[in-house]
Amino acid sequence: MRKILLSMLVAAPVLGFAQSFQVNLQGQKQIGMAGAGTGLALDEASVFFNPGAVSFLKKNGVQAGISPLFLKTAFRAAGSDVTEYNKSKLATPLEAYATFGSPEGKLRFGIGIYTPFGGAMHWDENWTGKFTVTSLDLQAIFVQPTVSYKLTDWLGIGAGFVYANGKVDLRRALPITRADGSSATAQLEGHSHNFGWNAGIFADAGSGLTFGITHRSKVDATVKDGDARFEVPDALRSTFPTTFNATLNLPATTSLGIGYKVSEQTTLALDVNWVQWHRYKTLAFDYDNNARIPDTESPRNYKDAGALRLGGQHEIDNKFVVRAGVGYAITPVREGYVTPEVPDADRWLLSAGLGYKPDERFQIDLSFLYENVKSRTETNLETNLSGTFKTAAYIPGISLSYKW
Amino acid sequence: MKFRYISKSLLALAVLAAASCKPELSSVNPEKGNADFSRYIAVGNSLTAGFADAGLYLDGQKNSYPEMIAAQLKTVGGGDFYTPFFNANQANGSGYKKLQGFAPNGNPVIGDVAPGAETGSVTIPGIGTVKRLAKYTGEINNFGVPGIKLIHAGVAAYGNANPYFERMLPGSIGTHNTAYLDFATAKPYTFFSCWLGNNDVLGYASGGGVGDTPTDKNTFAAAYTAAIARLTANGAKGVVATIPDVSTTPYFRTVTYALLLATVKASAPQVTALVIQTKSGPRAATDQDLFILPFGTLAPTLLGKPNVGGLPYGLHPGNPIEDQYVLDKDEVALVKDFTNSYNQSIKSVAASKNLAVMDANALLTQYATKQTVNGIELSSAFVTGNLFSLDGIHLTPMGYALTASEFIKAINKQYGSTIPTPDITRFRGVVFPQ
Repeated sequence: MRKILLSMLVAAPVLGFAQSFQVNLQGQKQIGMAGAGTGLALDEASVFFNPGAVSFLKKNGVQAGISPLFLKTAFRAAGSDVTEYNKSKLATPLEAYATFGSPEGKLRFGIGIYTPFGGAMHWDENWTGKFTVTSLDLQAIFVQPTVSYKLTDWLGIGAGFVYANGKVDLRRALPITRADGSSATAQLEGHSHNFGWNAGIFADAGSGLTFGITHRSKVDATVKDGDARFEVPDALRSTFPTTFNATLNLPATTSLGIGYKVSEQTTLALDVNWVQWHRYKTLAFDYDNNARIPDTESPRNYKDAGALRLGGQHEIDNKFVVRAGVGYAITPVREGYVTPEVPDADRWLLSAGLGYKPDERFQIDLSFLYENVKSRTETNLETNLSGTFKTAAYIPGISLSYKW
Repeated sequence: MKFRYISKSLLALAVLAAASCKPELSSVNPEKGNADFSRYIAVGNSLTAGFADAGLYLDGQKNSYPEMIAAQLKTVGGGDFYTPFFNANQANGSGYKKLQGFAPNGNPVIGDVAPGAETGSVTIPGIGTVKRLAKYTGEINNFGVPGIKLIHAGVAAYGNANPYFERMLPGSIGTHNTAYLDFATAKPYTFFSCWLGNNDVLGYASGGGVGDTPTDKNTFAAAYTAAIARLTANGAKGVVATIPDVSTTPYFRTVTYALLLATVKASAPQVTALVIQTKSGPRAATDQDLFILPFGTLAPTLLGKPNVGGLPYGLHPGNPIEDQYVLDKDEVALVKDFTNSYNQSIKSVAASKNLAVMDANALLTQYATKQTVNGIELSSAFVTGNLFSLDGIHLTPMGYALTASEFIKAINKQYGSTIPTPDITRFRGVVFPQ
């Protein structure tokens, strides 16, 4: 089954959206609770949420899930009466986890495959901002083998090594008019292979209180000799590049989580994320031919961002669990740096979830997450694209898990 | 059962939410303010007609700024708008220039497209030989006439001298006696735009200060006052535009002195300066002397060519670069001085009639250096700057869209209207060959 999941992961366009390129869709139970889970030893997704909590999981299991993501953005240029929308394009971030080792022992192992960064923004080929961007597909699939060790009855630590496989496809129009009246286009496509890590500490303080602290490292997704495809008039072709190098600085995230078991049936979770976006200063493209276009260095100047997530779950009986959550995420994008590929702004998150356990081994979890990204009116300092963006995302999700 | 029920409901909710909840922006309702746009007429010269690439042709006419303004006025009660289009068979109009490619040294290779609407020529006594263009019959809102000066606007016989005006007029060439402004204002209108006056100084400038003289400043002021009095006589409101500083256009900024000197030095390193003819005699050229765009194609054969006395062209005071190819720095100053004076007249007349002013001079001065709009770099660079067409003076559709947008902003400011501006990214720059 894992093999099938793995091949699905590689084949499907795994894309997401949340807080600039960061995607927070790594476990259906946690999504149901607005993405909180660092301070809980909830399920196999702890491989992502807190490797230190893996050693506290009562059973081993395998799970796989998907979160089809509907993202709708509206844009209206300053002074215009026309509202433009991005194309409806379904993104499908997947996640899969498995844990191994004796639940009675101190040492546990896990593996996780997930999509912590991504983007899928497709505008019309002739939209107002076409000379800034027409589409961006970005996916970073992380594979994370993990070790977790229970130091004492109440304290666990864990760490995972991250292999990050990235893929980017960025397209825009160029202000060169071809003979048929259409604009020339540029497409930059490349792959990256980089490494990182994920580590966490989990503590059971007793009286139903649990704590977690994790740090997921930065990853510099580096594209070397990516394909630069410039569809330009023949007379200009030799003056345009054919390859490019670029680096996308993906931020580290430090999270603090608290879990509280209110009763035998009810658990609350609170997460605070600190996303160190300040490293994302520029998006630079280094081309192999600068006869006509210079290397570009677009300022991004992100600031660190954060999110607060509060969720809870309640067991109705031994078969059903309901979940709900609310969160607020602060954007890393400063005024003047909003770009149409990530029209980011502060956002509210509302979530609901449902778990069903027909027997002790098998479980289905459903989640629904609504993200309301605040409207933002400004002029980009680099491109002078001026107008108002407003985005909403609707993300249903399902996962299946099997415990042994 | 319970699970299936709940899960189905959840799924239905998700699909419903995704399908119905497009994010909404606060609604915009364009308002006309205190102006009436039900019949808009555009008065002006080549810029108003949509002249581009050294010609008037159908594609340029369709991309004139009055067409763009009229399209936006539809949101605030604007009526139908008619431009005297060449028909499909005459689409090439007066003929125009077309980019064919690039020479090995990177210079653009520009060719000619033959006229599609020329119907021969006729000799008019007292005027000379006048080309003829296919007649247009029907409604007209865009009265842009390439070549017209402000001081022509009240001349009754002008229709016999200008083929672009002639083709709009009923009757035969040689017999026309309706002045331009009389013709344009004959049918009631509620709003007008007026961009006249450019040609009163352009002919002098583009000829390197030879062959034409700028309209006298006082004559201009009087003619402008009269023209606006005429246009506002029926109570119509309107917008007027100032005259750009033509010396900032690619026509004067592409074939630079430095470029010419470098070209000569490539084969004759001993040359230190080029010599130009000025009104006060020959002298060494400087960076402040502006060579006209057409000299770029003539220079390779002319420069250094000995005359009958054996003196090399452009390199010796005895055989200088002819006056007609260069707007020397005194002439540049004169052009700027007249342009400023005309613009003062335009602004003061507009103020006295409470008209909106589109400051084209300020706009094109700003865009003479690179500006970024919606990710496009716009500048007065020839071919690649996206603003100017292949004649180096007239605009591309993208350039005209920029002016249309600026006209609308001026109208909104003056009349309290909220007419939406056009999206310049929908319009093209210079067309490249495949």
